[in-house]
Amino acid sequence: MKNRILTGMAVIVMTALLASCGKVPQAQIDEANAAIDSAKTAQADVYVPADFAALQDSMRAVNAYIEGQKSKLFKKYAPAKENLTKVVALAKTVKENAVARKEEVKKEVETLIESLKGVIEENAKLFPRAPRGKEGAAVLEQMKTEMEAVSAASADAQNLYVEGKYMDALNKLKAAKETADKINNDLKEAIKKVGGRI
Amino acid sequence: MKPGRNVVKIIVRLIIIISVTALPGIIAISLIPDPPEEEIKEALAAISEAASSNATIYSRRLYREAEAAYDSAMTVWKRENRRFILFRNYSRVISLANTAAEKGRLAAASSVTGSRNLSERLKVQIKEAEKVDSRIEKLFTRYPLKEELRKRLAKGRLLLREAEVAYKKNQLLAANRMITDAEYLLTDVYKNAMEELKSYFGAFPTWKKWAETSVAESARNNSTLILVDKFARKCYLYHDGKIKFAFEAELGKNWVGDKKRMGDKATPEGKYVVTRKFQGKETQFYKSLAINYPNNEDIERFKSDISKGVIPQGSKIGSGIEIHGGGGKGADWTDGCVALSDKDMDILFPLVKTGTPVTIVGSLKNIDDLISSDNE
Repeated sequence: MKNRILTGMAVIVMTALLASCGKVPQAQIDEANAAIDSAKTAQADVYVPADFAALQDSMRAVNAYIEGQKSKLFKKYAPAKENLTKVVALAKTVKENAVARKEEVKKEVETLIESLKGVIEENAKLFPRAPRGKEGAAVLEQMKTEMEAVSAASADAQNLYVEGKYMDALNKLKAAKETADKINNDLKEAIKKVGGRI
Repeated sequence: MKPGRNVVKIIVRLIIIISVTALPGIIAISLIPDPPEEEIKEALAAISEAASSNATIYSRRLYREAEAAYDSAMTVWKRENRRFILFRNYSRVISLANTAAEKGRLAAASSVTGSRNLSERLKVQIKEAEKVDSRIEKLFTRYPLKEELRKRLAKGRLLLREAEVAYKKNQLLAANRMITDAEYLLTDVYKNAMEELKSYFGAFPTWKKWAETSVAESARNNSTLILVDKFARKCYLYHDGKIKFAFEAELGKNWVGDKKRMGDKATPEGKYVVTRKFQGKETQFYKSLAINYPNNEDIERFKSDISKGVIPQGSKIGSGIEIHGGGGKGADWTDGCVALSDKDMDILFPLVKTGTPVTIVGSLKNIDDLISSDNE
């Protein structure tokens, strides 16, 4: 009787050994995917594209490893679990970086909007003081048209800001600011030329 | 039975069981297909390399194909893994993974070449657009462009700046969009403005004749001559047919073209003489030299323009054209007179007397010379 019990136990142990393939860490995979989705929702692909690409690479590598284990008779998911934990942590960092970068760009856009507004207002005040004939001159007319174009670009950039497209707004604002600054310098020079005080 | 013999028996039985179980196991294991880990790893590396080479931007089609092949490989792999271990077949997975790797490598290479080529092309395009803008700046800054052209010019300049900003940030596709529009607008403005200018320069042979005869007369008579080049904004003082002084001049707002009637803010073109000299309280412009505008030719042309309907009936011919002080404003601001700075008027005024010839021309250089000197 004793012998049979021992034999049975040996068979069970062997079966258990063979079947102890481990389980796919599905909960951790789901957690990692959710963390990546969350980073994407925070526009990590826009604000920290290289970091986000690295994150995706890491997840792909883990998925490939897990699939590799599934193809084997003896499965070993411990390294995958470890890497999934790393992916979750990385996704969190990437998300934080994206949020921080987005905030940084947003601030930069806000600062530019304000400073452009200041230059546009100053130009509007300087313009009537620029030397002109009774009905203005070609230079001033072109300047005026450019001032209008800058104001239009500023309005476009503000719409982009409201839509949360900070990167697009930033380029538009930088170009508009450069033009506004040039007009500002030209106006100041023209006023100085006729002895006006700036 | 001794307990030692029992243990031996158990061990023997275990060995037999293990052997019986292991033998088919070993046979089965040898039949299990190798998973396509290496191929997948390679595909993953190629896609990663492509992504870091910005293939997502510059070789989008190939990159997407690589990704699609990789995703398909993973899907097929998963499907195969759901089958009984001995019946799995990874050949399709391997083929897809190899395709993904190949496309990924191609995407990376094409992206590197593509972005380098695009960057170089953009650099050239931006420079070209800047050149066109600079030509417009040089030739047309003080040219009264039509409102539509002015608007297009302003838009083109703004887009050019946006393209430069994007290019500096290595946002090549954005820069490409901007520069294409900027180049189109600036080139269009330049083309249209040049057409207008060429039409104005149709009178160049007459201007040339006036200038040459006036200078020749100055040389022949050892006399003084004032020659005004409207396009260059220059007022030259000649003596004995040689330039003695060159002054910066400012003109009427509508300086392009000859003066046609009173109030058109145009500076006349033709051969005149100084009729009177004013200074102090006699003029509001520091010092001034009145000229005999309108001369006989101007009067004839005015009458002809009226009869042809070029100018409205009831128009009056202008008068009171002078070379005067108050200039140096950097703008064309007069009602048709030629304005010099007060300092220059101090030089010119004593050297000129009543009767001194004054020749006003659109330009002393022909349009091709202006363009070529601008291109240099």
